[in-house]
Amino acid sequence: MNILKVENLTKKIGSKTILNKVGFEINEGEILAFIGPNGAGKTTTIKCILGLQKINDGYISINGYDIKKDFIKAIEYVGCIVESPDVYMYLSGYENLKLQASLYKNIPKENIDNIVNLVGLDKRIHDKVSKYSLGMKQRLGIAIALLNSPKLLILDEPTNGLDPEGIKELRDLLKKLAKEGIGILISSHNLSELESFCNKVCIIQNGKIIEENSINNIKTLKENKYKIKVSNTKKITKYLTKEDQIIDDNYFIVIKDEDSIAEFIKKLVLKDILIYEVTKETISLEEIYINKAGGNKID
Amino acid sequence: MIKLIKAEFKKIFHKKSFLIVTLIFIGFAFLTNFLYKSEIMEETYTYVDIDELKEENKTLNLNLPEDLNTYVNNLTTIEIENLKSDFKDYKELIIKYCSDIIYNSYEAKYISKDLAKYDNYQQELNNIKTKITNQDWDYFTNINHDNLIDSLNNSNDSNDKEYLNALIKLNEYRKTKNIDYNDHNYLNKAINNLETNLLEYFNLKNISNRTSDEEEEFDNIKSIILINEYALTHEVNTLSHSNLNSVLSNFTSEFGLFILIYVIMLAGTSVSEEFNKGTIKYLLTKPYKRSTILLSKLLSILILIPIIILAMVLIEILIGGIVLGFNSLNVPDLIYNNVTNSLVVRSIFSGLFLNIISVLPIYIFIGIVTFFLSTITMSTSAAITITFLFYLISNVISNLATIYHLSIFKYYISLNWDFSYLVNYVPNPFNLTLTWSLIVYFITTLIILCLTFIYFAKKDVKNI
Repeated sequence: MNILKVENLTKKIGSKTILNKVGFEINEGEILAFIGPNGAGKTTTIKCILGLQKINDGYISINGYDIKKDFIKAIEYVGCIVESPDVYMYLSGYENLKLQASLYKNIPKENIDNIVNLVGLDKRIHDKVSKYSLGMKQRLGIAIALLNSPKLLILDEPTNGLDPEGIKELRDLLKKLAKEGIGILISSHNLSELESFCNKVCIIQNGKIIEENSINNIKTLKENKYKIKVSNTKKITKYLTKEDQIIDDNYFIVIKDEDSIAEFIKKLVLKDILIYEVTKETISLEEIYINKAGGNKID
Repeated sequence: MIKLIKAEFKKIFHKKSFLIVTLIFIGFAFLTNFLYKSEIMEETYTYVDIDELKEENKTLNLNLPEDLNTYVNNLTTIEIENLKSDFKDYKELIIKYCSDIIYNSYEAKYISKDLAKYDNYQQELNNIKTKITNQDWDYFTNINHDNLIDSLNNSNDSNDKEYLNALIKLNEYRKTKNIDYNDHNYLNKAINNLETNLLEYFNLKNISNRTSDEEEEFDNIKSIILINEYALTHEVNTLSHSNLNSVLSNFTSEFGLFILIYVIMLAGTSVSEEFNKGTIKYLLTKPYKRSTILLSKLLSILILIPIIILAMVLIEILIGGIVLGFNSLNVPDLIYNNVTNSLVVRSIFSGLFLNIISVLPIYIFIGIVTFFLSTITMSTSAAITITFLFYLISNVISNLATIYHLSIFKYYISLNWDFSYLVNYVPNPFNLTLTWSLIVYFITTLIILCLTFIYFAKKDVKNI
């Protein structure tokens, strides 16, 4: 079932078109990586989905509710961080959570405590937020986003300020949530962090979606590369094709699909060539992104 | 909606600025009450430099008649001042009964050179001193009575006779109640006040065609007379200004500025701060309509205004009670009703309540204006500054409108937001009817509210 559906979303500010016919979908259990350079319209798209900005044209539905007609029902099961987790600095983390929770129907106190443990803030939760580091604020923001047991989670650059351990925890948390059937939209500039756990990629540039595809589809768009270490690459030049390349005396790269690479290795072994290492070179989102966006620098 | 309002209260009470203003208010309340208390010490008599007069006397040539006159006058003044410092609480009495005797004694000694007469006067003076020390008030009322009867017999003017008869009645009241002439005795004060104002009262009363100025003066004197009469007949001290009662009856003028500060502070930050700090993003992604969110913000302010005023009153009663004592709280609040020419008597609490209710529309309107400015400018400082300017300019416009009778301003809000004239029983200062004021007030408020809600519903949350 569609958790989020965006169709033909168009947003103009003055005469400038910020978003031009943006469309994508998120189904239950999907994690969508929303990628684009600065000013491409990522945050604007997110704000339009959340009703923070009015849309000029197009259709957005969350859980099947049109946000123009049934905003309250649509937004009820959405959790979000937009731009940065902006909370009330003069309250403690816990007071912030209680305040946010009080605006939903019946969120039991145990839920709040569980979420605090989940994001790893249990030791500092009663401190004033003004004493928090950026990473701790980010954790608090994630906690707030999870308060209402959302069916759609929208996270705008949630890894900002998180330490590597925090990022790993977040990754595990999001994977777990996706397994429970939550749809997640996540925008981040750190593409390598996203590719390991996203199942969909959506690339936006200048307010237009230039690629929407599943991560596996994108990765198989190109041939598989294998990097192989041998004692001396001079011995093997005769087995290489034009696309393959020699890096140095020990390393060379071949482009083969999975079946032919096995045959290729077998052939080398039979010719008494010692193979020390075979690694599969994956194509990173970064590369795909650079290919698609025409080499535009990513934020 | 109730959840939203509760959340608003929580935010407001956690703000430091709220606490700071409250602390300043408590300090201010202490100062104000001390100021009222210090009015006891207030010296209403002009200060006389006795040493300077003594020096002057040394330089005078007593052979010259003018110098001799000055000499006698100076001696009289010095003697009176000395007496006043001997009998600190009986200054009025000394001025009234001793001035002539002292002057006459020195006149007898230095000008007429009649030492026997001088001795007589000195004896009389000593007699008065013992009477004051023994608190023999009958002595003075008797002298006064005799003087008044004399004047009455010599008078032909009907005004004068009416006036003198009133004074005789007052003197009899004094005598029967054996009223202490102490300057701080409110009954004595009331009688003195009546004595000084009665002449003017009878003069104005008997003018057949009073001009508007005279009419105003007459109203003023009538109110003074009624208030002093009330103090005498009910034997309650409604005259003192250095008590809690007096602070409370001036509550809205003494502490109005603080109500204004609270209102502007709450309404000016409510919306703009959420936008500036980015917290609005969480608020607007909660399952509520935008109009519900804005309404709950507005309502929380409107609910808090009377609650804050009530808290201010309680704080003031507590502080005022500590500084000035609580015993004046049962003294009634007296208001002269200009229309029926009678005295309205109400308890201090109902008076305070009516006063606050009558000016509440000002603060509610100011709150709504600040709220509007805070919503459309998204700037707390702009909202607060512009509102203060608006308030100042509105007061200027009100004043201009009264002075020049400008009728175009009758549509302007500040001529229609203050209803205190109703509870003070004076005519509307701008000659506007209550219905007119209410219509202008509600239409202006409605327009501003509509603009606020329309703007907020369409507002995009910009990137920070």
